Amino acid sequence: MKALSGRRSSDFLRTLLLRSSRGALNQRKTVTFGDGSAVAGKILISAASVLVLLAIWWAVTYKWGLPSGFAEQAERADRIENPEGRFSETKLVRACKADPQCSYSQMFNHRTLPSPVNVLRAVNELATDGWRQNTLQAHTWASLERVLIGLLLGVLVGVPIGLAMGLSSFFKSVFDPIVEGFRPIPPLAFVPLLIIWFGIGETSKITLLFFAALWIMIIGARSGVLSVKLSKVHAAYSLGASKPQVLTRVILPNALPEILTAVRVSLGVCWGTLVAAEIVAATEGLGFMIWDAQKKLRMDVVVVGIIVIGLMGVLLDMVMRKLENWLIPWRGKG
Amino acid sequence: MNDGTANLSLSGVGMVYDVPNGEPVEALDDVSFNLEQGRLLTLLGPSGCGKTTLLNILAGFLAPTSGIVKLGGSLIKGPSQDRGMVFQQGALFEWLKVSDNISFGPRMNRQRSATTKRMVDELLDTVGLSGFGDKRVYELSGGMQQRVALARCLANDPKIILMDEPLGALDALTREKMQGLVLELWQNTGKTVVLVTHSVEEALYLGDQLFIMAPRPGRIERAYELPFAEIGLSTSPRELKASPEFIEKREEVLSLIWQMEEQIMGHEDRR
Repeated sequence: MKALSGRRSSDFLRTLLLRSSRGALNQRKTVTFGDGSAVAGKILISAASVLVLLAIWWAVTYKWGLPSGFAEQAERADRIENPEGRFSETKLVRACKADPQCSYSQMFNHRTLPSPVNVLRAVNELATDGWRQNTLQAHTWASLERVLIGLLLGVLVGVPIGLAMGLSSFFKSVFDPIVEGFRPIPPLAFVPLLIIWFGIGETSKITLLFFAALWIMIIGARSGVLSVKLSKVHAAYSLGASKPQVLTRVILPNALPEILTAVRVSLGVCWGTLVAAEIVAATEGLGFMIWDAQKKLRMDVVVVGIIVIGLMGVLLDMVMRKLENWLIPWRGKG
Repeated sequence: MNDGTANLSLSGVGMVYDVPNGEPVEALDDVSFNLEQGRLLTLLGPSGCGKTTLLNILAGFLAPTSGIVKLGGSLIKGPSQDRGMVFQQGALFEWLKVSDNISFGPRMNRQRSATTKRMVDELLDTVGLSGFGDKRVYELSGGMQQRVALARCLANDPKIILMDEPLGALDALTREKMQGLVLELWQNTGKTVVLVTHSVEEALYLGDQLFIMAPRPGRIERAYELPFAEIGLSTSPRELKASPEFIEKREEVLSLIWQMEEQIMGHEDRR
């Protein structure tokens, strides 16, 4: 049996940590285990989870990384020796070798897993000095631009094909084998061909992303057409609508939720495909940056790249969700 | 204004569906009748009797395998704004405002927007939804949505209105209120109406003519001329539905339908 005061303090902790954003009804529910609607995100717990992850990262790199403040000390010492020169990684290695307190093995582990502080420093370096003539922003934009252009082309070509497949037996028969044949092939499998045809420049990247988005868009648009309630189409014809009017005024708005879902999925797939494609061959972009940095053992730059890739993925998905709420408020209410 | 342009005539209408790996199904067999302009016909029958098939043929969504269907002397070949349709539910366009749903027909037919706007306001008033024009369809209750569906249909000024269980998804109270509205609209517009329903009471209350349909093959089993729709315009619905004449008719029709249902069950047991 628990003491009363103990229960009270645990209640306080619970309201602090578990306060639900879903309103009062959930607090009155006695059955919550198995009731999906009673499961809600608690911001404090999520924040704690992120902090724990960062703490583990920091602790691990503190143990196996450079001795605390070693890099700063070495840099300060170097400044005094050469006020004009830049403090480079080579100088850091040299300083470590010279110092009995700093072992080379620690330097190596510092290379394998950079600490959060190293990564923050790398962000600063990449944002101002950049990597291979391009700042972090420029690399990010290069990747983003490719994704947006490839996706746009995929939507412009895929949606009409998908609509046609949902509306006519002829087009369904024509495109079905093509779509079903190409869809299971991971877009990256085409990279060798595309490089031979278009080189390692923008054309091959955008073509790759176009194909990555195309099949998803076709299938989304087709299933959007197939999900239209027949009574709505019948109603439109009974109200005197012509075939083009039924297409633009009934079928298209009805298919819009599924088309936008397909755009969202395509965006995710394109982003992943692009980074992989940039690793294979590119001269700029986030994928290129992390691959090039790996060759130079700059793991801090690699980690920065990985984090930016992840953040951009989350950001793009958030933008798409906002767009959906704004464009199709009627979704699921038909 | 009975000029015969809304007279409906069917002769020998049959509908046979081909079933893969099975015998063809006769959804309708030799359905013939004339419906004069301004009448309200209700179709009632057990499921599978072909009443929805018949309505779809009248709307022009299905072409019968035999027979002739004419409205005002001209053959029905496909859907047209001559024949307005009110569906059970979910046939409104949820991406449009209420007023845009109602003006959908006139806009498709390229009518001037000034006239349309005035008409939409009048129709909203007629179906008791004044002030709801700017709402989204999904913000309305089921009963209000069916009011919008009625208004949308009337906006095109069709010759005949076809209703496929228009009140079937509504709760009992709303349903009774809506029945009153249907009667009122029928009286005020003088439209020919064909209404399919599952509810015996509704069929008796709304129809000034009633066909009981039977399955296998789908056909008109019995036709009634009914007085209740006319009376219903001046009497309260509860009073009317509690009157001995109404109850007597209701029991008669119910027992007929029960008989049919039992035959169907027996038929299926033997299979």
